[in-house]
Amino acid sequence: MTAPMLRRLGVPADVSGRRLLASRDGLVVSVLFYLIVSGVLSALWRAAAGEHGEVAGYTALALTWYVFTAEAATCAINVRLIEEVGDEIGSGAVAVEMLRPLPVVAVRLAAEVGRCTARLAVLLGPGATYAWLVAGPPPHAAAAVLALPSLVLAVTANLCLQHALAGSAFWLRDTRAMWFLYQKLVFLLGGMLLPLEVLPGVLRDVAMALPFMAMSYAPARLASGHLEPWLLLVQAGWVVVLAALAGAVFAAGQRRLQVVGG
Amino acid sequence: MSRAGPATRAVLRGAFTDAAARRSAFWTQIGAMIANDLAWVAFWVIFFQEVSSVRGWDVDRVLLLLAVLCTSAGLVLGLLSNSRRIPTLVADGSLDEVLTLPVAPLPHLLVRRLDTVNLGDVAFGLVLFAVTAQPSPQRTLVYVAGTLASAVLLTGFLVLTGSLVFFTGRSESGDLGLNAVLLLASYPADVFAGATKVLLYTAIPAAFVSGVPSELVDDFDVGDAALLLGVAGLFAALGWATFTAGLRRYSSGSAWGRG
Repeated sequence: MTAPMLRRLGVPADVSGRRLLASRDGLVVSVLFYLIVSGVLSALWRAAAGEHGEVAGYTALALTWYVFTAEAATCAINVRLIEEVGDEIGSGAVAVEMLRPLPVVAVRLAAEVGRCTARLAVLLGPGATYAWLVAGPPPHAAAAVLALPSLVLAVTANLCLQHALAGSAFWLRDTRAMWFLYQKLVFLLGGMLLPLEVLPGVLRDVAMALPFMAMSYAPARLASGHLEPWLLLVQAGWVVVLAALAGAVFAAGQRRLQVVGG
Repeated sequence: MSRAGPATRAVLRGAFTDAAARRSAFWTQIGAMIANDLAWVAFWVIFFQEVSSVRGWDVDRVLLLLAVLCTSAGLVLGLLSNSRRIPTLVADGSLDEVLTLPVAPLPHLLVRRLDTVNLGDVAFGLVLFAVTAQPSPQRTLVYVAGTLASAVLLTGFLVLTGSLVFFTGRSESGDLGLNAVLLLASYPADVFAGATKVLLYTAIPAAFVSGVPSELVDDFDVGDAALLLGVAGLFAALGWATFTAGLRRYSSGSAWGRG
């Protein structure tokens, strides 16, 4: 991808980010929902760690920051994105976007990354404040700082894989049930509901080898006080692989797209 | 009002026929919802393998809570799916056509649309209860009665929060109310403390949606059962009253009426 192309992709990212920030009511709901989800789940883990000292090596403080970070990475994203992109492909609406001088999937990804990082930025302030108030400051300052770029990589990896899966609508036409299953994979194998260390042996190894760990576990592990910079490298690797996959799926799908009528 | 019963049943029959006509979509959606529920079961099983119990709740009790919640929420969001859409129906003017009919608007509105995806929840809840909750005639009876009371309560709460749109002009309260009550009802109330716990038994009655009915199955208590019925009746009445009061303030939201 060339520098001029990246500059041009910056435009849809910027516009969608600004548009999101302008919709105040939607943002208020997003923040409240994020705080409720994180508050509830972290209360459960704090109760568990309170009774048992720690859970899978995580203290109550570490688990609180884990949950708030993992939830931020997922709440920043439209959960039904696969369904929405799939519907636009299935209905043929995507054909109009093929008239642009840029790859369809690149423009879509740029717009979504802009929108989701803007939402992420809004969620982080209230989330960090809440976590700090109920549990205390982040367990490790340097690791918490690393969690910020890790969150952006997490959101980007998630969006890339969602677009790759939504691209199956070029063949299947209907991807409506897929987002449900995808979301659950991120919840469990991505470490959104629980740290991957809690999973039993083989399942933990499988989860660590899958891309879902880059979408929630990696930033949450850093924010929970584990200074493990290699997680950022793993995430960056997954972003490259998943972006290439999404590009390949869309390129193949666009070649076989036939739209009848107008 | 004498014609409201048959008319509502006829609308519900029509909604079922419509859903069953698209068979492959029907079964795909039900399958997706069952897979979704299985993920929650997996979460709780893994969680309790690590911590064995939290504040007196173990895996059996939490799976019973999940069975009650799935059945109750599935009934409400599947059979009375418009209970979550009142703000949208008010905003886009869909309410206008209901008001022209010679039937009570709220019951007609509630049964007019069926969400098949949530019927998967009902099936899952029933199977989960049968498989994990050691059903006996008494436990089954309490489960059915508790689930129905929970469904009445949940419907009343959704109609109440959705009807706030008549007064505030904003639709967010409905979405937030739905997400908050379902999320909070997914966890045992004993996990929470202080103001949050008080909230679960009052303004967002999540504890009565799942926790109290599931505790009644395990350990029936007449006082708690009466309290559950009372709270269900109270929220149903509040929902009805708020919707009715809102209708008096309602002026068409349709495109024809605007501008």
